[in-house]
Amino acid sequence: MNSIVNGMVNGRPVPPSRVRGRVLAAVALLLLAGLTAWSAAGIGVTLEVFLNASRIGRLVEESFPPAWNFWPRLVKPLLETVQIAILGTLFGGIAALPLAVLAARTVSPSRPLYWLSRNVMNVLRTMPDLFWAMLFASAVGFGPFAGSLALTVFTVAVVSKLTSESAESIDLKLTEAVRASGGNWLETVWFSVLPQVLPQYVSYVLYAFELNVRASTVLGLVGAGGIGMVLNTQRTTFQYARVTMIVLFIFAVVLAIEQLSAAARRRLV
Amino acid sequence: MTAEGSPAGSPAIRFDGTSVVYPNGVKGLDAVDLEVPRGELVVVVGLSGAGKSTLLRAVNGLVRITGGDVVVDGRSVRASHGAGLRDLRASVGMIFQDYRLVRRLSVLQNVLVGRVARVPTWRQLAGLWPKEDVALALDSLDRVGLADRAYVKAGQLSGGQQQRVGIARALAQKPAVILADEPVASLDPVTSRQVMDDLQRINRDLGITTLVNLHFLDLAKEYAERIIGLSQGRVVFDGAGAGVTADDFAEIYGRHPTAEDVLEAQVAL
Ligand SMILES: Nc1ncnc2c1ncn2[C@@H]1O[C@H](COP(=O)(O)OP(=O)(O)O)[C@@H](O)[C@H]1O
Ligand SMILES: [Mg+2]
Repeated sequence: MNSIVNGMVNGRPVPPSRVRGRVLAAVALLLLAGLTAWSAAGIGVTLEVFLNASRIGRLVEESFPPAWNFWPRLVKPLLETVQIAILGTLFGGIAALPLAVLAARTVSPSRPLYWLSRNVMNVLRTMPDLFWAMLFASAVGFGPFAGSLALTVFTVAVVSKLTSESAESIDLKLTEAVRASGGNWLETVWFSVLPQVLPQYVSYVLYAFELNVRASTVLGLVGAGGIGMVLNTQRTTFQYARVTMIVLFIFAVVLAIEQLSAAARRRLV
Repeated sequence: MTAEGSPAGSPAIRFDGTSVVYPNGVKGLDAVDLEVPRGELVVVVGLSGAGKSTLLRAVNGLVRITGGDVVVDGRSVRASHGAGLRDLRASVGMIFQDYRLVRRLSVLQNVLVGRVARVPTWRQLAGLWPKEDVALALDSLDRVGLADRAYVKAGQLSGGQQQRVGIARALAQKPAVILADEPVASLDPVTSRQVMDDLQRINRDLGITTLVNLHFLDLAKEYAERIIGLSQGRVVFDGAGAGVTADDFAEIYGRHPTAEDVLEAQVAL
């Protein structure tokens, strides 16, 4: 005879019923399938498009082997892409720090300033980098400068948000010690807030740099200069073997920069 | 190194019916009347929650005084705001149980924090401390026997050494008053004595009025010229340190002293 005590049968735990979990999984799958069908229909993707593989096959054929000997002409544009990213990261990183301090609730000197900086931060973050690129292109003309300005804004958005969160989680006891010595707000921030957030801040700036190298490539596609622009030219003139070479080149450099930056960040925090 | 600007005659600190009610309604201090003459070393004892920290923090305005006033060096704490309050705080050094040093900055930079109110902010941000201030900071370190550690990172020092850096930071303010809130509560018995010796020597050599919160009764008796007992925000004992009896302590604590209330009992462990 089975004795059931506290959900135990003969002193052993009873496995929970799996019916509920299976029903939930089935519902989730159906939902996903429905969403896929709905989206595909919406943008006009049909099975036919997938079956039309001959074009894809031709594309692959033309793309390989990569145009290896094309690389010397890529060095300068790629450097320009990286330079756009460096400028955007530096300008943005510098501007992000004061904004982050003002937007950190526990550190901010006044409510109105806190509110204002928070909203500035949110607006900057909501707009995609392409929008800023277009905006600055209208202001200073298409080119690398507009690109680095767009990345500046993008960097401010990313770094200020992350840094202000770090600043909100610092130990405020140290802040009190500086105030007890007669320090004003700026001195208190300088000697108690910044030393505590500095490693994280630098790590966020490096992270933004990694994002910026990639974003800078994309901005090139819309005319901000650098390797993205070369990629676009070769693509529109159907030089697919060169396109492959460019993609490989970008891949190698972006990966290398990411690895270096990530290693530096690991040492920081 | 003597106190800056001390009008002679008046007491160093006068509590004038001082009350502190915290925003949540808790009474920290309840109409305290107390005079501390210049150059005296007073030890404040009382159970945890008796109001010892509140008493000290009313002196430099770290808590809001809600009734009466505290007069430091002839200046009303309650009437001091902004630059006036910072100036008052500059004349009052504070030492904390948890040291409150910037661990990643050098010992010397930490001591220089004691000069924030006396040196233009831009000089601090640029790292251009005036020669006299650096000399004063090194002098202060010398007084606690740590001049040779000036360029070491504060976080690398032992607890006792960090607390002595805290004392040097307070000294660098050239204060009229030093407040020490449980300065040895995180230290072992031997180090506790060294830190108390430092405080006593500074009090005697420089004539700086000193208020120390202590938990251990034997330590209090040993170092205090005068002991003040607090209970529920009120002064329940005020007498010479040497003459305090076990019965007096029972009066302050509402119970007789146990092994936990004396430092030496811990040595035996
Ligand atoms: N920031 C605060 N807000 C509310 N209540 C507080 C605050 N700080 C201290 N108190 C309360 O005030 C009383 C006195 O505290 P405190 O001065 O820290 O005592 P002590 O230093 O003797 O342990 C305690 O009841 C404590 O809980
Ligand atoms: Mg306390």
